[in-house]
Amino acid sequence: MQQADERRVLSLEAARFTFRGQIDCESFAEFARHRAARLDIEIMVGDCDPTAATLSVRGQEALVDMFEMACSLGPYDCVVLDVERRAIA
Amino acid sequence: MKLESGFVPVALSSHIEPGTSTGAVVEQAELVVWRDNSGKVHVWEDRCPHRGMRLSFGFVRGDHIACLYHGWQFDTGGQCRHIPAHPDLEVPQTIKVPIYRAEEKLGIVWATTASDAELADITMASDLAGLRSLYVDCSLEHALAGLAVHGFATAGENAGTLTVDGVPLFIALQVVGPQNTALHISVPGAQGADISKRLARWAEALRFALESPELAGMEVA
Repeated sequence: MQQADERRVLSLEAARFTFRGQIDCESFAEFARHRAARLDIEIMVGDCDPTAATLSVRGQEALVDMFEMACSLGPYDCVVLDVERRAIA
Repeated sequence: MKLESGFVPVALSSHIEPGTSTGAVVEQAELVVWRDNSGKVHVWEDRCPHRGMRLSFGFVRGDHIACLYHGWQFDTGGQCRHIPAHPDLEVPQTIKVPIYRAEEKLGIVWATTASDAELADITMASDLAGLRSLYVDCSLEHALAGLAVHGFATAGENAGTLTVDGVPLFIALQVVGPQNTALHISVPGAQGADISKRLARWAEALRFALESPELAGMEVA
């Protein structure tokens, strides 16, 4: 059990994403929050304009990866052309 | 009738064998109907929370159903328990499929989202077994009107009985869409092959009549 706990602790990740493309900020933020809630990861929505949205998340690494995949497609009224990801403390 | 209004028929019990799944549509809401290996039937929203793939295309293993797309496994409570790509992942409880109440009665699987709904208290002279599910391109109202011609006696919401060749049939109607209705037909016990064939032909003739109003004058043998 201790080994499993350590494994779970070690796999937590905090990352900052910048999604670039054609962004409807309200729609994208709502979509990102919905997906973060489903994946049970913490999220903070940062700066957003029609060309880019910045989000900070924290959670299990695999779930952060899934979050990136989900948001790289985005809601139907956004087009994500590029994703930048940086690990944060 | 929508799922939130009360129990709706979604399939014949005999059509859902243990370890299998299938899809159903109720007023354009898509459902997965599956039976686990212990024989219990489940009715859920037909959508994997991962990428939206229909769970009705999935496969049943024991008391779990797995999505065909990436193999995410869900227990009988709709809770995701295993993600093959991340076998060590502690799957959060937020990854869950909406599940509905499911009951079996009169040879039919019924489902509802209403927490306080009860199945209509319909009793037949003997235990019923599924005969046929007919999918007809007509509205519910048209189907009911067509059944009324044959002496359909209503028993509960969108359900009732009629007799064909001396055999009492129980028919429950499911609204698939505005012009699509399913008629789930069950009959007492195990009918002989000859009678079953005659009843099946009767059902096909009924569908033909319901879908061809210009031929409505033709008698259904």
